[in-house]
Amino acid sequence: MFETGPNWRRDAAFGVVLIAVMIAIPFLGPSRYFIGQLTLFFIWATVVSQWNLVFGVAGIFSLAQMAIFAFGGFATGMMGLYLGISLWFALVLAGVGSILFSIIIGLACLRLRGPYVALLTLAIAQVMYLLIITDTACFYMEGVTCRNFTGGTRGLAKFGDFGFREMLGRREYLKGDYYLSLFLLVLATVFSFAIIRSPLGFAFRALRDNPEYGVSRGLNRFKYQLLVFAMSAFFTGLAGGVFAGHFRVIGANVLSLPLLLFLISMMVVGGLGRAWGPILGAALVMLADEGMKDFVEIRNMGYGALIVAIVVLLPQGAAGGLEQVWEWGRRQVLALWGGTGRLAARRGAAGEERRE
Amino acid sequence: MERTASEPLLSCQGVDKYFGALAAVRDMTFDVFPGEALGIGGPNGAGKTTLFDVISGLNPATAGSITFDGRTITRATPDRTCQLGMARTFQLNAGFDTLSARENTLIAAYFGRHNRLVPGMRFDRETQRLADEAMEFVGLDEVAHEATQTLPVYHRKLLMVAGALATQPKMLLMDEPVGGLNPQEIDDVMALVRRLKERGLTIMLIEHVMRFLVRLSDRVLIMHHGEKIFEGSASGLVYDKTVVDVYLGEGSSRRLRHLLEDQPSPDEGAPGAP
Ligand SMILES: Nc1ncnc2c1ncn2[C@@H]1O[C@H](COP(=O)(O)OP(=O)(O)OP(=O)(O)O)[C@@H](O)[C@H]1O
Ligand SMILES: [Mg+2]
Repeated sequence: MFETGPNWRRDAAFGVVLIAVMIAIPFLGPSRYFIGQLTLFFIWATVVSQWNLVFGVAGIFSLAQMAIFAFGGFATGMMGLYLGISLWFALVLAGVGSILFSIIIGLACLRLRGPYVALLTLAIAQVMYLLIITDTACFYMEGVTCRNFTGGTRGLAKFGDFGFREMLGRREYLKGDYYLSLFLLVLATVFSFAIIRSPLGFAFRALRDNPEYGVSRGLNRFKYQLLVFAMSAFFTGLAGGVFAGHFRVIGANVLSLPLLLFLISMMVVGGLGRAWGPILGAALVMLADEGMKDFVEIRNMGYGALIVAIVVLLPQGAAGGLEQVWEWGRRQVLALWGGTGRLAARRGAAGEERRE
Repeated sequence: MERTASEPLLSCQGVDKYFGALAAVRDMTFDVFPGEALGIGGPNGAGKTTLFDVISGLNPATAGSITFDGRTITRATPDRTCQLGMARTFQLNAGFDTLSARENTLIAAYFGRHNRLVPGMRFDRETQRLADEAMEFVGLDEVAHEATQTLPVYHRKLLMVAGALATQPKMLLMDEPVGGLNPQEIDDVMALVRRLKERGLTIMLIEHVMRFLVRLSDRVLIMHHGEKIFEGSASGLVYDKTVVDVYLGEGSSRRLRHLLEDQPSPDEGAPGAP
């Protein structure tokens, strides 16, 4: 939105508080499990924040995000393992490679609309999945053990990590991964906020709302579709690399359907196309998942119910709901303030109708 | 009008558009001169909207050539023709529904004027000024912050005009600008089009509301089955046998004749009954 003065300040304030809390948490003596879960939260929220650009903001029903994530993860691991380069260097190269990979997917999707994009991108992910789990050829021998190029069903391992174990010791190394993922999420989120509120974000939303009208007002659909695929890939690929380095292994399971649904539900619960949606959605879905952990049988049903409930009751997602509460509160305060309140309230009412 | 002295702004030469075997537009040849308003009429399915699609690049011609402002645009994409100075509105209400009215116009002002190789971080001052000016010109400044999808039909029609104007066009293509509006609103749009003509804008307009078409057009072109069956002054229209037979009918051509006789100058006078 162009009248972002107050919103930018509000969002920056929220952001700073959240970052401060996240930086402080490891010093409060949390369990290793808690730190591990938060690290995962940062990684998933990063992926969802970029997916949201394609799916929510640009309205392209691409399911390729986990394929790009896997590409980043495997590329990082393979470069570390086969080229023997530092995982940090491999990570950056993988991020750049992910952009190219995503542009190719974007090109393949160009002539397709709506559900066909979903089908094609899902097929790409499935092909990757099958290629990995059916990879049985010996790429190299480790002693008497035969190792596959992709790691096969066992997953790709032995490519090392980001060096936090060596630096911080076996007990503290998790904090290294924690801060690295937090840093990644902060960068990815600032990036997505900047895109969503810039003319580029408006171009994406315009072409989502009405492509025919959009091109008639000077928007080049080809260019902006490729751009959104390219832009959403870098941090997604990096997230894949950080994931691989964190677990010191990456396997085909990152391409599994349940994980894809897990991340889609984050995007939907948070609110499609909304700037705060991915973080809110990832937090809510991971909390719900935590709550349902002891009831394995109903877990998948639980997600289903959550998605249905959100879509029906709160189609703008949690971020949309909060935005409404915020605007309502602001109007109450301004009304109490006196005369100038009425004008501001009218603007607020208009603001409420709009999507981010 | 020194029409003969000036070059045409838009020139179509032998333009065809086929959908399979169906000739939606066939062998259309005509010129539009700077500052002129050319009205397009014709029965439903005559190919009027398709002609706009072909000219603006949304659906390229099967054959023929189109030049605009000295450039060949036969194969140009719609974003390109827009940036070259040709803006259109649509028969159905088109817009960016989830955005506010002003945001709709901002996008047009920003991307529609020239190619943005690398878009900036924000809408610059010039863009904001042009968008606000366009909103004010059509009279939508009051609802600038409303969501587009909540606007009534009349406002949505005006918003399409505002978006078109914000791209700073040389030529405006209007597809049924008053379709579905009430008489009062039709008069208001008529006044708006007059103000656009005063600004020197070249206009092509499609309309079924004949009093709107004949009052505003300097020349009229009637299409039937994709072909041009008449081109000339509005007053000649009602005496043309083919036009009366295939499109106007006796009754409506008589009413139109009275309308034209009552107000000899099509550019002034109070609007009468349809
Ligand atoms: N995309 C398309 N594919 C196939 N046929 C089409 C397409 N667009 C239009 N047509 C056909 O071309 C013909 C001309 O349609 P067009 O919409 O241009 O008519 P029109 O003069 O604008 O009519 P109206 O006054 O009802 O708006 C019609 O027979 C229509 O069915
Ligand atoms: Mg039409």
